[in-house]
Amino acid sequence: MSNGKARDIWGEPVRTSASARFDRLGLKEEDLHRLLYYLKLCRYFDERMEMLYRQGRLPGAIYSGRGQEGTHVGTGFALRREDVFLGTHRDLSVQLTKGLELKRVMAQFWGRVDGYTRGRDGNSHVGSFAAAGTFAVVSMLPDSYPVACGWALAFKRRGEERVAVAMCGEGATSNGRWHESLNLSSIHRLPAVWIVNNNQWAYSTPNRLEFSVPSVAVRAEAYGMPGIRVDGTDVLEVYEAVGDAVERARSGEGPSLIESVSLRWKGHAGHDPARYVPREMLDDYMGNRDPVKRLQDLLMSEGAVSEADAGALDERVKKEFDEAHDFAQRSPLPSGEDVTRGLWTEDGYWDSDPRGDGRTE
Amino acid sequence: MTTEGDTSVERGAERSPEVPQASPEEAAKDEAGAAGHGAEPRGKRSAEGEATFLVAIAEAMWEEMERDDSVFLMGQDIGVYGGAFKVTEGFLDRFGPERVMDTPICEETIIGTAIGAALAGMRPIAELQYADFIANGFDELVNVAGKHHYRVGERVPLVVRGPSGGGVRASSFHSQNPEPWFAHTPGLKVVVPAFPTDAKGLLKAAVRDDNPVVFFEHKWIYRRIRETVPDDPDFTVPIGRADVKREGVDVSVISYGAMVHKALEAASDLEDSGISVEVLDLRTIWPLDTAAILRTVEKTGRAVVLYESHRAFGVGAEVSAVLAEDGFDLLDAPVVRLAPPNVPVPFSPPLEDAYLPQVEDIVDAVDKLSKW
Ligand SMILES: Cc1ncc(C[n+]2csc(CCOP(=O)(O)OP(=O)(O)O)c2C)c(N)n1
Ligand SMILES: [Mg+2]
Repeated sequence: MSNGKARDIWGEPVRTSASARFDRLGLKEEDLHRLLYYLKLCRYFDERMEMLYRQGRLPGAIYSGRGQEGTHVGTGFALRREDVFLGTHRDLSVQLTKGLELKRVMAQFWGRVDGYTRGRDGNSHVGSFAAAGTFAVVSMLPDSYPVACGWALAFKRRGEERVAVAMCGEGATSNGRWHESLNLSSIHRLPAVWIVNNNQWAYSTPNRLEFSVPSVAVRAEAYGMPGIRVDGTDVLEVYEAVGDAVERARSGEGPSLIESVSLRWKGHAGHDPARYVPREMLDDYMGNRDPVKRLQDLLMSEGAVSEADAGALDERVKKEFDEAHDFAQRSPLPSGEDVTRGLWTEDGYWDSDPRGDGRTE
Repeated sequence: MTTEGDTSVERGAERSPEVPQASPEEAAKDEAGAAGHGAEPRGKRSAEGEATFLVAIAEAMWEEMERDDSVFLMGQDIGVYGGAFKVTEGFLDRFGPERVMDTPICEETIIGTAIGAALAGMRPIAELQYADFIANGFDELVNVAGKHHYRVGERVPLVVRGPSGGGVRASSFHSQNPEPWFAHTPGLKVVVPAFPTDAKGLLKAAVRDDNPVVFFEHKWIYRRIRETVPDDPDFTVPIGRADVKREGVDVSVISYGAMVHKALEAASDLEDSGISVEVLDLRTIWPLDTAAILRTVEKTGRAVVLYESHRAFGVGAEVSAVLAEDGFDLLDAPVVRLAPPNVPVPFSPPLEDAYLPQVEDIVDAVDKLSKW
């Protein structure tokens, strides 16, 4: 760690517990900068999109992930390009961290042909295995879990050192296919990691009305796999837990379950004021456990990031958002004539670019 | 519909009365000594070289697995046990547990896993112990498999197959014909063959298809219908093409699945009374071969749509609508639907017989229509 760092009497940097942690996690200064960049990007994206929604300038729905960026970015950052991620409506930030292009995601929100679904789907129901190794989100919760089993099965069968990582909210764990998937993955020791983003609310339903066990993580035992609970507002803790689970899966030791706890700062979707969330709880999380601020404060106190660095990152994400927004507005809307195309593979709709500019993924 | 003495499907399956056991020579060849086990399904053809519908299905899967390493099977009790109907008997020994994967009882996750594997470049064939259990996996098929390519352009080449249909005294949970559920759903091809050759060729085509295919095998046909089936490993029957199984000029019976056999029986009865019936076997429910439907009615001017799934809002409605919209000028009489009422499949023989269209019902309907 460099600038402004405390030094001992021999001039060597003081090895704080935080810097020891960075070393243990193998995170170099540029990695920490990137981590902070993604946290800021996802936060900024979330805030600006909400603003556009409130102004009536964004069609469709938004599902804010604000307050949960630690879980999202920590997960995306722990995966390799060749690993696959299968998430939900609320964890678009994982997909952005894993490599979806911001401009094409924005084009998706505005129903444009440059969106990954070419206007066939909207909002965060997006993803692309070709572009980023991510599954286009399916609303039904958690339909991604069984699909992740299939990817993991293929990886195992072909002897590939790749991992399928699925994420859903704690509410989705009440659904049978969540349990079926953990069970199947454990029986066959599939290279899968199951992450549950416990933001303490499923729409308006609190944890105590979703399950009567003390945590989601304890359920791991029932399926014969390790389960841990981490602080989802600490991106490093998530990164470490996901990294360990992914390596375990990669080395053939089977699946694990990670419950990452944070709080959903906004309502279920843009229309929901979430009055059912107690004010004190919200104040506590927003005031003391802001995942973006936590990492920034830590990196500043460690001298890994300066005020100027942080300011530059803020400028960068704003600029990137504006450019992506412009791109989305300029991207053409799809033609109504194409409505029946692309259902079957035979018609070739997806083999060529609808604008004919030859772009391939 | 009367049956040939089966009172229980599962018992019937285990008795395997029509599946020849391996000859002593064959058994001797089998190192493990387990008669038939580990042997190719072709070894189960009759002495005359005919395959039952069931054996034809097994041949199709066996050949496709030999051809393409990415093809694999998953389902309940398909390994050591060889499947509830013994379709996959011998597969485990030949292909191993990774390609003949016994799963827990979790249809939703079986189908979802097949989707994931398909997206990852594999070609899964998921077996349902009975087609009825597809209801437990409905969501993954309808909301994921059927929509995915339209939404994102990523291919989901999978086959979900299972035994459907009634007439075997198996009541409402083991006799359904779920094909209209999926024909109504975008993005799924739905195949319901009636003959061993078609079953073999269509299943091979389904495995090679880049789209999700739902494939129903009428269990009444499994061991009753046999014929000589092609040996060419690249023999396929195109999905989406109907086939005229009997030519005629007076009335068309448009049908599929087990009802095709009832239609053929009725047609030969009617021949004696001088009525010439053309039997069109749809083979694929969706995409529907509308050209073939119009072609047969152009010839006869009269159509009975005969099917075993529920009467209302189903295959009959669709075929009738095709004729009304595009074949109005061809028709000399109204289209008649002959199908079970919209009630669950009942168990007791008089009830089930009343439920299913019988040969006499077909004869009556055709006779009446021919006089219209
Ligand atoms: C099977 C299913 N039922 C209902 C819904 C409607 N729905 C969408 S999000 C949601 C709440 C999900 O809560 P949780 O799993 O905790 O995820 P979060 O939204 O908190 O991230 C519900 C009920 C759905 N998407 N899927
Ligand atoms: Mg939640």
